[in-house]
Amino acid sequence: MKQNNSARGKQRHVSTAGILSLAVSFLILIGILIIGCWVATKPAMAADTIINCDAHKGICSQSSGDLTVSLEITPRPVKAMQDLVFRVSIEGASPAKQPHIDLGMPAMKMGPNQVALKSKGQGTYEGTGVIVRCPSGKRTWFANVSVPGSGEVKFIFDVIY
Amino acid sequence: MLACRDRERLNLSSMSFIDPLYPIFIATGFAVGFGHCIGMCGPIVVSLSLNLKDKKFLIPHLLYNAGRVVTYSLLGGVMGATGSFTLVASHIAGMQKGAMIFAGILIIIMGLAMSGWISFGKIFGDSYNAGGFVSKGFRRLSQLKSPAAYFPIGILLGLLPCGPVYTALLAAAGAGMKAADPFEAVIKGMGVMMCFGLGTVPALFLIAKLADMGWLKKREVIYRIGALLMISVGVYFIFKGIRY
Repeated sequence: MKQNNSARGKQRHVSTAGILSLAVSFLILIGILIIGCWVATKPAMAADTIINCDAHKGICSQSSGDLTVSLEITPRPVKAMQDLVFRVSIEGASPAKQPHIDLGMPAMKMGPNQVALKSKGQGTYEGTGVIVRCPSGKRTWFANVSVPGSGEVKFIFDVIY
Repeated sequence: MLACRDRERLNLSSMSFIDPLYPIFIATGFAVGFGHCIGMCGPIVVSLSLNLKDKKFLIPHLLYNAGRVVTYSLLGGVMGATGSFTLVASHIAGMQKGAMIFAGILIIIMGLAMSGWISFGKIFGDSYNAGGFVSKGFRRLSQLKSPAAYFPIGILLGLLPCGPVYTALLAAAGAGMKAADPFEAVIKGMGVMMCFGLGTVPALFLIAKLADMGWLKKREVIYRIGALLMISVGVYFIFKGIRY
């Protein structure tokens, strides 16, 4: 009977120690995950996530040297996973080739997603593309308008998922 | 003469199947694999590696990756055939949501089974029937006694929603739209996604190999952390799946 009680006590002792070691392991794991996420996303966030365009409201303009580019995305509000029309107006430069837009996320590599632009005359260009949904929940995207021979301009904006 | 012309046309047609998108998407898969997949799919691969315990990792992980590439290729084929990313994406959204929730449940069950904290009898309640079809299936998947079980897991997890996969599917739909005929469209869509999937394999293999190292697997504490990691990943998947 005494032996039985001591075995039970030992079992209770072991299980308490086990729970404690599990709790410590869990805290270490969560710590590693938080630090890992912070280290992985910090450089990209600091350099690139200053939103400079409210694409839901209308046309955005950005300049780089003599080059001024205006971008309009329709339909509004700008939602992911639907066909979007990108209208670009270029001032201060005449592109050597057709300009294009590279879509991506500042915080994550998403692979090549390029929108080919076709001239509509008088320095305006148009193309269709899709902003895909990132399951991480991050909503900030960029549209990098490249004007061959004149440079590029980056628009950073939020989309709706 | 006609037959000769037909043959020539056929040859030209098959030549056009070789698309510059293929090497681009192998490279994309490779780069995204080390940058993105390690973060998103890394915990799953680590969980699968830890779950193998003393078994060899090569065949199960080859099968897991083969399953993923098969799903990607099939999705690519459908994208190529329709030529519309948004149309297909809207149809598979529900399936992806379901896959995410199912994957979460599966990963939690694998974690619980690996830890040994809760027996299958407790998971399935008093009515647990070890010989039942569902219980048998869950037990087989969670214990992964046969490496072949990694293939359906790869097929299922290939359906998980992921930004770079969407981007590759977008390219597959674009390639299909530019194809000369429906057959070429399907082949090109499949080709783009197969190349993308193959490109992601080295990164996931590396993670699997790191988690498979002997000194790591011999430590009981790693199994406990691994089980906790699996349960956390499972809960995260279910939460994300519900909100998706």
